[in-house]
Amino acid sequence: MRIIKLILGDIHFQFKYGFYFIYILFSALYVFLLFIFPETWREKAVSIMIYSDPAAMGLFFMGAIVLLEKSQRVLNALAVSPVKAIEYVIAKTISLMLISVLVSLVLAFVAGLRNIPEVLLATALTSMIFTLLGLIAATKINSLNQYIIMTAPLELICFIPPAIYLFVPSVIMQWYPLNGSMALISNSSRNPLRDITMLLIVIICLFMIAQRATMKMWKSLGGVKL
Amino acid sequence: MLTVKNLSFSYSKKPFITCMNFHVERGEIFGFLGPSGAGKTTLQKILTGLITTYDGSVKLDGIECKEHDNHFYENIGVDFEYSTMYEKLTARQNLEFFSSLYAKQTVKIDEILADIGLQNDADKKVSDYSKGMKSRLNFLKALLHDPNILFLDEPTSGLDPANSQLMKDMILQQKAKGKTIFLTTHNMADATELCDRVAFIVNGGIKALDSPHNLIMRKGAAKVLYTYYDKHERLGECLLSQISEDNVLANLMKENRILSIHSSEPTLNDIFIEVTGRTLQ
Repeated sequence: MRIIKLILGDIHFQFKYGFYFIYILFSALYVFLLFIFPETWREKAVSIMIYSDPAAMGLFFMGAIVLLEKSQRVLNALAVSPVKAIEYVIAKTISLMLISVLVSLVLAFVAGLRNIPEVLLATALTSMIFTLLGLIAATKINSLNQYIIMTAPLELICFIPPAIYLFVPSVIMQWYPLNGSMALISNSSRNPLRDITMLLIVIICLFMIAQRATMKMWKSLGGVKL
Repeated sequence: MLTVKNLSFSYSKKPFITCMNFHVERGEIFGFLGPSGAGKTTLQKILTGLITTYDGSVKLDGIECKEHDNHFYENIGVDFEYSTMYEKLTARQNLEFFSSLYAKQTVKIDEILADIGLQNDADKKVSDYSKGMKSRLNFLKALLHDPNILFLDEPTSGLDPANSQLMKDMILQQKAKGKTIFLTTHNMADATELCDRVAFIVNGGIKALDSPHNLIMRKGAAKVLYTYYDKHERLGECLLSQISEDNVLANLMKENRILSIHSSEPTLNDIFIEVTGRTLQ
């Protein structure tokens, strides 16, 4: 199946370009930090770590991935191959989600979290959201500087409300989808089914936008500066 | 194989390609020649289904290009002017990856690498390849799924004479296999050597379309140039069609006084300038 080949190709690409190596280093650093934190802080600290890094890595890395593919003109070749835009989007999302879930598993295990299946599910869904947001932004830019400027507002919207919600869980804010993700990770969700449903709705909407954005990018490929 | 009828396209309100009509037979090498910005890349994007908002009809192998599905690409190979590989992966890894994207996998990677002399460099990263090696590898990538239609964009650009000849031989091998080849180039010598027919594209329209030989013969008369000694070396010339009327040449031949003689035909580049008023090189 082509989608499996694309996912394996993306994992190979990410491995060759050092993404796995970087995340082994980050995981080691986070584990070290978890051990030096007082035990009472550990649960909240690991929730913030998982939400803000492995789950959100797509937002940080999609710019680099798409710019590398643009600069090496790989996208030109994909655009005239049988690969569909939606397959490209799925492959990027799944491949990054796998790293997110692996790192999240290590952190949750080290921190001694009891809700590991919930954490992994929330990480997977949140990772998809951040990767799709990163991909949508990356399709419209030609340099890393543009990507940083474009994703800065996204970072504010995506990180500040969940961070506040972790410490001050108000009723109104529970309807913000990414707060649901934070609640699932920190084992404080009042309604896990509702939180998962909200995340899935966001993912479906973002998939449709990312597919259109990818199609548009493939049709207007040009040179890029890294 | 390709039928283009009343093709028009515009990026803005100003027309860019206007009422283009032509037909390409199966097994032909068809050249698109024109200066930068003439519309060659846009035309290639239309033919490869990347631009679908055109007016008129463009049928490639019976499929209207703007209505294609992704199976359309199983039968098309595109060789870009530049490398389109993952630079950190080896040649073999790149070919295996791109090959895996197609349903039709009839080509053995080791065999085709050997065909173009890259078997010993198959496990080298593409970033370590020379320009010539990258060009050959890129060409190979376009053939992985054994397509019937090839789009080649400046295939000899930047290559040294030996690699350029190798590339041209590979293109002719594909023609011998019955593939239809669309060649976009600035290089008139390559077009003359490779193409069965060429279209001169300027300002989004076709200014001339015929075989290179016919274009040359139709537009320009062959000349005969000769040198001889008469106190000092002199140059004479006459039209080949009027050679019997050149009394100077006749006398020189009778007296065996010709120092050199050769016929000279106009090049495709001369014809392009004459037809379009523009230059390519």
